[in-house]
Amino acid sequence: MKIVIAYKWAANPQDADVAADGRIDWSRAKSGFGEYDAVAAEVARRLVDVAGGEVIGLSVGGPEIASGLARKGALSRGLDRLVIVADPSLDHADPVTTARVLAAAVEQIGDVDLVLTGDASVDVAGKIVPALLAARLGWPTLADCGQPTVTGAALTVDRATAGGRQQITVQLPAVLSTAPDAVVPRVPGMKDILAAAKRPVQELAVADLAIAPATLPVSAAVSRPQLPSRRRHMIDATDPAAAARSLVAELTAAGTL
Amino acid sequence: MSSPIWMITTSPAIGGALGLVEGDVEVTVLVVGDQATVDALTEAGVTALVHVPTSDTVPPEALAAQVGQLVAEASPSVVVAPARGPERALLAAAATALDAPVLPAVTSLRVDEYTVSLVRGLYGGLVAATETYSGPIAVLVDGGVAPAPTGTAVPVRQVAPSPAGLTIVSTSASQQASVDLGSATRVVAVGRGLKAREDVELIEKLAAAAGAQVGCSRPLAEGQDWFAKDQYVGISGQHIAPDLYLAIGISGQLQHMAGVRGATTIVAINADEKAPVFTECDYGLVGDLYDIVPALTAALTEVG
Ligand SMILES: Cc1cc2nc3c(=O)[nH]c(=O)nc-3n(C[C@H](O)[C@H](O)[C@H](O)COP(=O)(O)OP(=O)(O)OC[C@H]3O[C@@H](n4cnc5c(N)ncnc54)[C@H](O)[C@@H]3O)c2cc1C
Ligand SMILES: Nc1ncnc2c1ncn2[C@@H]1O[C@H](COP(=O)(O)O)[C@@H](O)[C@H]1O
Repeated sequence: MKIVIAYKWAANPQDADVAADGRIDWSRAKSGFGEYDAVAAEVARRLVDVAGGEVIGLSVGGPEIASGLARKGALSRGLDRLVIVADPSLDHADPVTTARVLAAAVEQIGDVDLVLTGDASVDVAGKIVPALLAARLGWPTLADCGQPTVTGAALTVDRATAGGRQQITVQLPAVLSTAPDAVVPRVPGMKDILAAAKRPVQELAVADLAIAPATLPVSAAVSRPQLPSRRRHMIDATDPAAAARSLVAELTAAGTL
Repeated sequence: MSSPIWMITTSPAIGGALGLVEGDVEVTVLVVGDQATVDALTEAGVTALVHVPTSDTVPPEALAAQVGQLVAEASPSVVVAPARGPERALLAAAATALDAPVLPAVTSLRVDEYTVSLVRGLYGGLVAATETYSGPIAVLVDGGVAPAPTGTAVPVRQVAPSPAGLTIVSTSASQQASVDLGSATRVVAVGRGLKAREDVELIEKLAAAAGAQVGCSRPLAEGQDWFAKDQYVGISGQHIAPDLYLAIGISGQLQHMAGVRGATTIVAINADEKAPVFTECDYGLVGDLYDIVPALTAALTEVG
């Protein structure tokens, strides 16, 4: 089985700073391998351990994703090799552009049976790139998947729905996004990190992939969101019982209780 | 049927999505689901309904390519879908067929003759973007609950399904009862500050004393299965706006707080005085939840 796992090397917006004019400063926020993409990598590894084949990591982004740190960070997750499309124009690319580049790269890799993705990227978290990639490739797609099992030319996937769970057979090739709790990903050890340095990395140039430009808004402005103002009244809790009574009194006086 | 807005759904929970649309604009709802969903939506106050039926063996996602074709034929200005798993697959197919950009986390939407204006959150709500588009766009919104019936039914166009690629082989219902946090006026939520599954009882007792529903942060529902998946709050989970939200042993990361920004009053209990939750609360108590929660339960029981 030839499995591609699409991973994003990005920073958590929790650690970014926003200026008064809405501009984001990412310099304090460190990028890393997507928390949920690690789940997809583990799911892929377990599939290949049973069915044979290889696991190829694929990422799209700015020049930073091709750095030594980012390469090792990805390869130490049990990936056999990497394919990277790094270009300044792809730094914080929108989901449609990202999916177009991913689709072109998947076609370039060739004979891919399955693309696995994480549940959500750490920064955009739109959970939409996998579905867009599938639509582009014309492949079936499902979200919230557990560990799939191989049954001949198809996969069987267990996925969560609003009311329970379903077991679904999936015709390959397909794009599946994994639930955060599909499996517990392994923590890369020293051996994984050392082995990672020896695995191949292929860089594709975005110019060679012939990607149509994304539709842009005719006007756009960003701003700091209007958060509701909060009282931030701290109640001394050295004496828990007194603090509890005081909180209840405050909430009662405010009409909340 | 050329409504400027097509809304794609697999369930009746589109009240929030409909409420988002400003002005008197025609909305066609495309139901990719069962007959019960159609029945629940015929009086939703929309312009028209189109139904592509799913079945015990056909999941909504198997109809994605067909949905793409249907929407492309209608060529609406905006395709809207509630941000849920199956809807994302369908919206992506429609957006790809229309060659439209896909915009997650849209919080307001206005369709004029030649343009569509919207506000959306970027990076988990870190910043808000106000944008205007001239071409077709596809947006993800918070679905909300089912809309109240208006008393007037609209026509339903039935379309025969042509599924591909995916077949349901078996289904199992969830053991955990579903919790409707969305309509709760008070919610007591707990996070990783809770040490053991047995301690959930401590939180349930507090919730009972406060007349509240119990919610949680994501790690306790996905990863740890101490709570049901529909019980966690945040960008990936429930978006709620209760009168009172009690965050206990929750650090208050952006991705969690994005789900409770609409709460009237937020109370935070956390052992770490530097926890981000204290910057976004109305009342803050620094301390061990294992001391404060029982004390609070007692204080609430005292006042009755
Ligand atoms: C794409 C993406 C989407 C996400 N979506 C969501 C989402 O929808 N909802 C969500 O909740 N999270 C979401 N997350 C995860 C989120 O980023 C945080 O990791 C998560 O909210 C943290 O949960 P927590 O506050 O329970 O745990 P932690 O961050 O570990 O915080 C635990 C807190 O408990 C406190 N504590 C410990 N012991 C005690 C004690 N005895 N008494 C009192 N306090 C104590 C600690 O001081 C700490 O602040 C998402 C993440 C990503 C990347
Ligand atoms: N730039 C990217 N490169 C590779 N994979 C990506 C990229 N962006 C998103 N993905 C994949 O798509 C999943 C969902 O991302 P998103 O739609 O941004 O929430 C992620 O968990 C990744 O597996």
